[in-house]
Amino acid sequence: MIEVRGLVKRYGTTLAVDRLSFDVRPGIVTGFLGPNGSGKSTTVRLILGLAAPDAGGVRIDGRRYRDLAWPLREVGALLEGGVYHPGRTARAHLLALAASNGIRRSRVDEVLGIVGLTDVAGRRVGKFSLGMAQRLGIAAALLGNPGVLLLDEPVNGLDPEGIRWIRDLLKSLAGQGRVVFVSSHLISEMALTADHLVVIGQGRLLADTSVRELAARSDSLEDSFLQLTVSSTEYRGTGAPLTDPTDGNHDPMARSA
Amino acid sequence: MTSATTTRRGPATASGHYRFGQVARMEWIKLRSVRSTGWLLVFVVLAMIGTGIGVGAGYRSHLPVATAAQIVNNSLGGAALAQLLIGALGVLIATSEYSSGIIRATLAAIPHRGLVLVAKLVTFGAVAFPVGELAAFAAYAAGQATIAGSPVPHASLGDPAVLRPVLLTGAYLGLIGLIGLGLGTATRHTGGGIGALFGVLVVPMFVLVIFGPAGLAAAKFVPMFILANSVAVVTPVPGCLSAWAGIGVLCLYAAVALGLGGRLLVRRDA
Repeated sequence: MIEVRGLVKRYGTTLAVDRLSFDVRPGIVTGFLGPNGSGKSTTVRLILGLAAPDAGGVRIDGRRYRDLAWPLREVGALLEGGVYHPGRTARAHLLALAASNGIRRSRVDEVLGIVGLTDVAGRRVGKFSLGMAQRLGIAAALLGNPGVLLLDEPVNGLDPEGIRWIRDLLKSLAGQGRVVFVSSHLISEMALTADHLVVIGQGRLLADTSVRELAARSDSLEDSFLQLTVSSTEYRGTGAPLTDPTDGNHDPMARSA
Repeated sequence: MTSATTTRRGPATASGHYRFGQVARMEWIKLRSVRSTGWLLVFVVLAMIGTGIGVGAGYRSHLPVATAAQIVNNSLGGAALAQLLIGALGVLIATSEYSSGIIRATLAAIPHRGLVLVAKLVTFGAVAFPVGELAAFAAYAAGQATIAGSPVPHASLGDPAVLRPVLLTGAYLGLIGLIGLGLGTATRHTGGGIGALFGVLVVPMFVLVIFGPAGLAAAKFVPMFILANSVAVVTPVPGCLSAWAGIGVLCLYAAVALGLGGRLLVRRDA
């Protein structure tokens, strides 16, 4: 289980994560939803100890991330934006990570097979398409056969077949009793994949509920989500039907009228 | 494909804890699986050998006939270029992790950041020092081989005054590599790291020389000046540091650069 408690992260004067608390339980897929810039990636980095919180903390199965004995065997993470040296082959990338946590070499070929990259394992990652790089990231997350999986925007760059594949993979991983935490800004994808949702906006918790309950609040899950996040969406097209009456003076169209 | 994931239960039950050995293995795989590592090291050796050959060829028919010490000193002159190459490699080992984003995977795998830097230092050092020595001895040998059959006197590695500059020039190159690693870790950007390296190695020398004798008293602590006047010479220039004192100062610089890099690595968000 992942326990997030009172997490605060400030960047200068911006509060990226604002007193965030929630649990991520095993056995189900938990979606982490929020508009762009809502603090999802920052929260994932805080969970992994890549960034230090200004207040609060995170426990993974009762321990802080930095106290894990073999981090990759306990937590597998897919981070947004690529984490590969372009000049290194896919196999070398995974071998290096495997070595760091005492994971047997044969596991590298296993995970390459799971994500379907066996044939291109010897190719340099710089030549990979976005979808292939994403699959490599998923292979790295599965490397230590961890009980906790954290995936930041896993469907980015995947084709429809890949999206279906990752959806089934996440469900089966959760079905095996693992903690599966998936961040996304795609509500429709989360509606198909997740059982439970944690919704944030401007770093604050907006909802921590089941997909079914959230969808029932309005005509659709998407409508419920947009109603939740309406006041915390940072960028919005001026022609959008959704306008927040409280910040109408930010509307350039209104000013010129 | 999904069925290929191993079946699963509660938390991992692995025994023990990651240690230096595992982290060093990771860094070793990363170091040797990138082409630029090999190429830069090859260029370090070629720069040294090329200078050795050039010096030997130039002095074959030079009048007055050169001394054995002159040939040794000048054969090691390629270190002025080689230090920039090996220093740049040290910078790149740290900064390429940031430009590619792999630093996040590294630190998620090994949250003990100090251990990561120590592993980088040890694995890169294990390559940089032998390559530095290889390059220095090859440069010396190239110089000696090229003057064969000319009136120029040969030197002998049996002479401690000849062995010392060759040996310490190799060590100097290894130390510059480590300084590069420290500066790369501190700056996190290739351009900034290489700029800082150049600024540390060479620039102060030209600035300090403007101030005459007072500047010279400070210039003798600049790495490039130490190389040319203390380390890579059969007889250190009077008024400059001795060869061993020069290497000692370089060790201090490497410790400061790596200490600074390590401190920032531990404190900053990745």
